[in-house]
Amino acid sequence: MINLLDLLARPERFFSSLEGKEPDLRIPAAIAIVGAIIAAIAGYAMSGLYTELYAGIAEGMGPVMGIFIIISAFIGFLVMWWLVMAVVFFLISLLFKGRGKFTHTLANTGYGLVPVIIGSIVTTLVFLSYLPRIVVPVIRNIQDPAVIQEAMQELMHDPAMMEYTWVSMAISALFLLWSANIWIFGVKQARNITLKQACITVAIPVGAFIIYTLYIAVVGVPIPGGA
Amino acid sequence: MAGFREFCILITIAMVFVLPVSALEQQQTAGAQVMVTNVSMDPQVFMVGDTGTIAIEVINNGAQSVAIRRATMFDEEIMVDSRPYDTTTYLGAGNRMSFTFTVTAPVDEGIYYPTFSMDFRDSGYLRYPVKLQVQDKPLKISVIKKPDVFMDGKKENVDILIGNPRDNAVSGVVVYPSGEGIETTPSSIFIGMIAPDQSQKVSFSITPAKSTDLEIHVDYMNGINSHSEVIRIPVDLGDSKTRAELILSNIQVERSGSEYTLSGDVTNAGLEVANAVVITSGDEVTPLDPYRKYVVGTLQPDDFSGFEITFSTEGVGNVPVVVSYKDNDGKLYTTTTNINIPSVRAGEQETGDLPITMIAIILACAVVIGGIVWYSWRKR
Repeated sequence: MINLLDLLARPERFFSSLEGKEPDLRIPAAIAIVGAIIAAIAGYAMSGLYTELYAGIAEGMGPVMGIFIIISAFIGFLVMWWLVMAVVFFLISLLFKGRGKFTHTLANTGYGLVPVIIGSIVTTLVFLSYLPRIVVPVIRNIQDPAVIQEAMQELMHDPAMMEYTWVSMAISALFLLWSANIWIFGVKQARNITLKQACITVAIPVGAFIIYTLYIAVVGVPIPGGA
Repeated sequence: MAGFREFCILITIAMVFVLPVSALEQQQTAGAQVMVTNVSMDPQVFMVGDTGTIAIEVINNGAQSVAIRRATMFDEEIMVDSRPYDTTTYLGAGNRMSFTFTVTAPVDEGIYYPTFSMDFRDSGYLRYPVKLQVQDKPLKISVIKKPDVFMDGKKENVDILIGNPRDNAVSGVVVYPSGEGIETTPSSIFIGMIAPDQSQKVSFSITPAKSTDLEIHVDYMNGINSHSEVIRIPVDLGDSKTRAELILSNIQVERSGSEYTLSGDVTNAGLEVANAVVITSGDEVTPLDPYRKYVVGTLQPDDFSGFEITFSTEGVGNVPVVVSYKDNDGKLYTTTTNINIPSVRAGEQETGDLPITMIAIILACAVVIGGIVWYSWRKR
């Protein structure tokens, strides 16, 4: 078992205790799977909105759409937050002549997902409190991308949705910073680089992700052909 | 002397026998001098069953007065209602005298000849057939203008033509419409006399309240006889083919919390002018300033105007937008169009700012995470 308190509050001590051992992916994988399940639950809660959004043209497609979103959220969490993040850390640390197995980076990245999972739980609960107040427009014509774009814009500009977006973004960013703090020490230990280099390695993808999230919150998701 | 006396006796005898004969001849000659000079009837032409008068004027063209014992009129079919003149009357030389008889014509259409008969006291008589025409032609009522469709409460003009196909004039012609639930202006029109082969046009404003029959009555007099004609015009309420038709288009809904601003265009797609066009929201929502009601004014056919109304609502997906206008007669028309709007669910409270609870959660997370991060770096 791992010392969760050390992982969250004293990550340098936690990763120091793992030095010299072969990376064990079982616990990081379990953490990532828990995170993926939480993401799937959040996706299921959010699928209700999209079911309502497409109710005008796809009556009865709700369950299918819900399953699709659950699977997407589950796989997406595993891939994006664990695998891709580990690959990015590994590649950036190469610039600093980092040494160490990828599995080591993958394992330490998995440990660092715990705050992100806690953040996901918090934002999911916050979403459930906002859900009854979100007004969902109905798309009448799926053939016209402009109509879909307009409906999406209307949904994203719904006052309750906007409020939730900003709240969840702030909470997610805070917990992501917490994870980043853990990743810094994890990457430093896994790749044998300096603390400063580890900070840069983690800051780049995390900063890019926060900026991207902010951009999506402000501009919205563009639909091809819907401009 | 004896011869003179015999002569006188002879003369006297001759006077006794000759003088009465001469007087009789004079009487017979005087009777032949009485003749009818004028016949007048009221009405001039009877209708079937009509009662009227026949006045016959006679003149004595002789040099002596004539004793008239009896004057009467008779016919097998025409009923003579008045009694004969059966009191001996002297008609002086050169004088005129009128005899008036009341008759009734309970006969079919045709020409009849009741006979005027005058018996003289001493001898002789006068027979004079009088031409009496009975015509079964009532006044004709024609509708020359009426709307294709009547509308509930909408005033429409109906033009009526009253024609007299008879050979005589009729008098006291009054036209009045009637019908259940029908209001007419004017209530009746007095025409008076209509000459033969002439017509008179009258116009009524008809305002029906339900589907019914509009009756056009024409009362008139033929002499002293009252007659009445009526025609019925079915009044079926429906939608006018030419009335103004207001269409809402280009609808856009802007929402701010539970307050909505609905804007769009209103177009008159009908063929008549829409006056005093006013647009407002229905009862299910609460109108708000600044545009509780939007007054467009007059819209000509094919004309359009923009409008904007503001209201608040909760939990309503369809908002009734009420468009009202008046036609040229001031009748108010109202149409309601349901507009789908994004609804505000019950319990939603829109502040526009982050609620205190969320701010507290974010701050708590920030403090906890910041403390942990600070602690992790401090305890290195």
